[in-house]
Amino acid sequence: MINRLRALWKNLFHRDQLNHDLDEELRAYVELVSAEKMRSGMAPEEAYRAARREMGGVDQVRQRVRDIRAGALLEKLAQDIRYGMRTLAKDPAFSLVAVSTLALGIGANAAIFSVVDAVLLQPLPYVHPGQLLSISENEPKAGISDAGVSWPAFTVLRDHNRSFSGIAGLATHALTLTGWGEPADVSTVAVTPDFFSLFGTQPLLGRALLPEDGKEGAAPVVVISENLWRSQFGAESDIVGHSISLDHRSFTVTGVMPASFQTPFVGQVDQIWIPLVQDPLFSGWRMRPPQAHWLPAIARLQSGVSIAQAQTELKTIGAGLALQFPAESGWQPSIKSLQQEIVGDVKTPLLMLFCAVSLLLLIACVNIANLLLSRATSRSKEIAVRIALGASRQRIASQLLVESVLLGLLGGIAGMLLAWGSVSAFASTVPPGLPQFHPIRVNGSVLGFALVLSLAASLVFGLAPMLFTARSDPQANLRESSRVGEPRSAQHTRNFLAAVEVAVAMVLLAGAGLLLRSFAHLLSVNPGFETEHLVKAEISLPRYQYAKPEQWIAFTDELMTRLQTQRRLDKSALAVPLPILDNFINLPFTIAGNPPLPQGKADTADYASASPQYFQVIGISLIRGRLFSVDDSAMMRPVALISGALARRYFPNENPLGRHLVFGFPPNGNVTREIVGVVSDIHDVSLTKDPGPMMYVPFAQEPFWGAEIVVRGGLSTADVAAAIRAETHNIDPGVPVTNIETLPQAMHASVAEPRFRTLLLAIFGAIALLLATVGIYGVISFSVTRRTREIGVRMALGATPADLRRLVLGESVKLALFGLTAGIPAALALAHFMSTLLFAVTPADPFTFIGVALLLTMVALAAGFFPARRALRVDPMAALRCE
Amino acid sequence: MPAPQSDLLQGTLDVLILKALALQELHGMGISRRISQMTNEAFDVKAGSLFPALHRLEQAGWLKSTWGESETNRRAKFYSLTKAGRKQLQAETERWERISLAMGAALGIS
Repeated sequence: MINRLRALWKNLFHRDQLNHDLDEELRAYVELVSAEKMRSGMAPEEAYRAARREMGGVDQVRQRVRDIRAGALLEKLAQDIRYGMRTLAKDPAFSLVAVSTLALGIGANAAIFSVVDAVLLQPLPYVHPGQLLSISENEPKAGISDAGVSWPAFTVLRDHNRSFSGIAGLATHALTLTGWGEPADVSTVAVTPDFFSLFGTQPLLGRALLPEDGKEGAAPVVVISENLWRSQFGAESDIVGHSISLDHRSFTVTGVMPASFQTPFVGQVDQIWIPLVQDPLFSGWRMRPPQAHWLPAIARLQSGVSIAQAQTELKTIGAGLALQFPAESGWQPSIKSLQQEIVGDVKTPLLMLFCAVSLLLLIACVNIANLLLSRATSRSKEIAVRIALGASRQRIASQLLVESVLLGLLGGIAGMLLAWGSVSAFASTVPPGLPQFHPIRVNGSVLGFALVLSLAASLVFGLAPMLFTARSDPQANLRESSRVGEPRSAQHTRNFLAAVEVAVAMVLLAGAGLLLRSFAHLLSVNPGFETEHLVKAEISLPRYQYAKPEQWIAFTDELMTRLQTQRRLDKSALAVPLPILDNFINLPFTIAGNPPLPQGKADTADYASASPQYFQVIGISLIRGRLFSVDDSAMMRPVALISGALARRYFPNENPLGRHLVFGFPPNGNVTREIVGVVSDIHDVSLTKDPGPMMYVPFAQEPFWGAEIVVRGGLSTADVAAAIRAETHNIDPGVPVTNIETLPQAMHASVAEPRFRTLLLAIFGAIALLLATVGIYGVISFSVTRRTREIGVRMALGATPADLRRLVLGESVKLALFGLTAGIPAALALAHFMSTLLFAVTPADPFTFIGVALLLTMVALAAGFFPARRALRVDPMAALRCE
Repeated sequence: MPAPQSDLLQGTLDVLILKALALQELHGMGISRRISQMTNEAFDVKAGSLFPALHRLEQAGWLKSTWGESETNRRAKFYSLTKAGRKQLQAETERWERISLAMGAALGIS
């Protein structure tokens, strides 16, 4: 072994010495042999010749000795690499085009893969994440899925399951942190006591919550996140044991959780966790009837129990629950793996983007294959010479392969740099809906992926020239001029590859076109309310201090009065929730006087509580009846406004005014309210969902502990924020004012996700178009060069410029048409998969498909334009002579 | 190029070279002549087979080489057995004994 290593070392680094020695040795051999022959009586000249003859070819002997040397393969490889580098350097234009084409392909793939890796591939950062499940309740008949679990169902699940090693519920909202500068809303997770033991993450400081903390009457405690500890509490090491004030109630800090610990479903990194029993809101919700499905739950499977087994047990428990609560018999608890639940929504768009970049890489590879193929043709003479000089075909093929791999690696490295540069820009534009348990960055697995892609790509595009060279006949290539020496099959292959590019570009552009059209539709949707010149802000009242609805009314009345008496804030109003920007509230209702619906069926409508001015401020118009007034107070009889959609659907041929609806926000679910007016429809869930039935109640009759304030006028966000904050703090300095935004900004943010994927796909489509153009141009241009003589002959025979133009452009249109014939069906098939991402556009949208097909044909024409002009400039005499 | 002889009897050439060097160090031509002599001129090893084999055996650590002076006062490369080479020759000799006995018995020669 040592010997071989030493030999390898010598062979690699003392090659010159070795070669010299070998020559010397062989010379000595010849001289010794001829001396021997001379001794036996031969003349010196003759003896030397005989010795040479006996020796055989010196070069062959030398080569065979070199071949057996250790590291001979390495040496050959080094030779190939050097030669390949020289070849690439000799044709910088070609190398630049090929490397940058590949860099685009690899870079886009690596960038998207970094997102896929962070979101879909890496496991959740908890101990044994595969055992974690998300539990929800479904009501299939009403089409409700992924609702929270009702408190009675949660306790039954917790106490009677045999599948889980632990189960915890978590509910989120915001509490007001005071006593540390400006009052702040902190994202609060109210959890049942098993929550932390379920995940197995150790706290950074102190301890997590214990079962005793979850008992009724326990002292209020809080666990804070590392980020909050650093940002709000100056990372003080003695924070554990200190008290902090949440909604004006004192909580003792027991521990700090590391930044790496994130609560599932909660995007924020600044957060606190408190026991559910201590929560000012949710502790009371435990008393709510079983109809309220509000608590998302997470469980850990016992080791050895499969999801299927747990599902079976859950069915049994569900049947038991149905017996216990007959009114809820339609509801069924269900489990999903936590990972699946978290990434479920983003999987389709991400996979679509991933498909898109794969197609992009395919185009890039095909493009380079075509370039290499053209070059192989022009190099056929060089290769024929090398074969004639004794290079084996295998050696030439391996050399071409090394060249491709070199190109692949150079492109790969450039692509990785591209990805590395774009991912950071990219990570900051990622829409907030994307779960980010892991940072999106170019890590080892992304680099590995890019490397494998580069190598795979170099094999793909290296294959064509290799096969071509293996088939070509060196004698023919040497004999004939390089112009004619190309088999027809090579031209066919190039045309075929260009058509493939067009087909793939068609698929990508159709996808991009469909998304663009969807997005344009989305932006052109009239939400039914105005957003221009509107600013919103959110106030939330600390719930220990403001425990009673009367206090909520008093506070908001006071605030509204103070704001509306200011000259530039007079168009102020408040509502809960705001359409689109807040989560919608959907409630069941019944129409007084109508026969009751069958068991298990209910009519529902979306619900909002609003101050009287809200409708004018936000631009919802009155269709009939009246709006709310200050007289619709808590003392007066309950009233309601309904939307046009509700009126049309439930009161088709009658006047709804004066009729009564029975509904309300829990716990006041059965309040009979008189319909006093009908207002125009709005998109209250999202722009993509058509306006549904809505019902409004006066804020004074159905108050909340918090509200969204909207202000119309030409004031800047900062002015409005300052005014609202000043007036709020004049009433109570402990009330936080948060989420201040202009409505256009907020609406912009609400379409961040579709914008993101549309933008990306549009970029990929544009790159695909560019690459396909380059591809067609390359093929046509090369074809014109090779047909110079034919063109000359045609000219000599009297072809007009129009004929020639038709000849060249016809060829490029033919390529486009072949590509489209394959591309359109493929695009139609793929568009079907992305139908869930489309809005107001069918997957087979004729506008998009015809438009993209036309675009590609135009591009093909444009790509043929310059070669056609070159063809026209051919001098027939020169063309005929040059052969 | 005709198929080199050593392909036919790869192992044979190696063991012949080792045997040729068992008594004294020799240069390339010397080895070739010695083999021819040892085998009653049945084997005529050509340079095209000899030198690759010599270099291979040297790399394997069975031979070592030094530059010396030939009988015609010419600088030449002399090969000699190393310790490992002697061991290898021993092992090869035993192997060949077994083979030739077995082949002889099988073909009814002896």
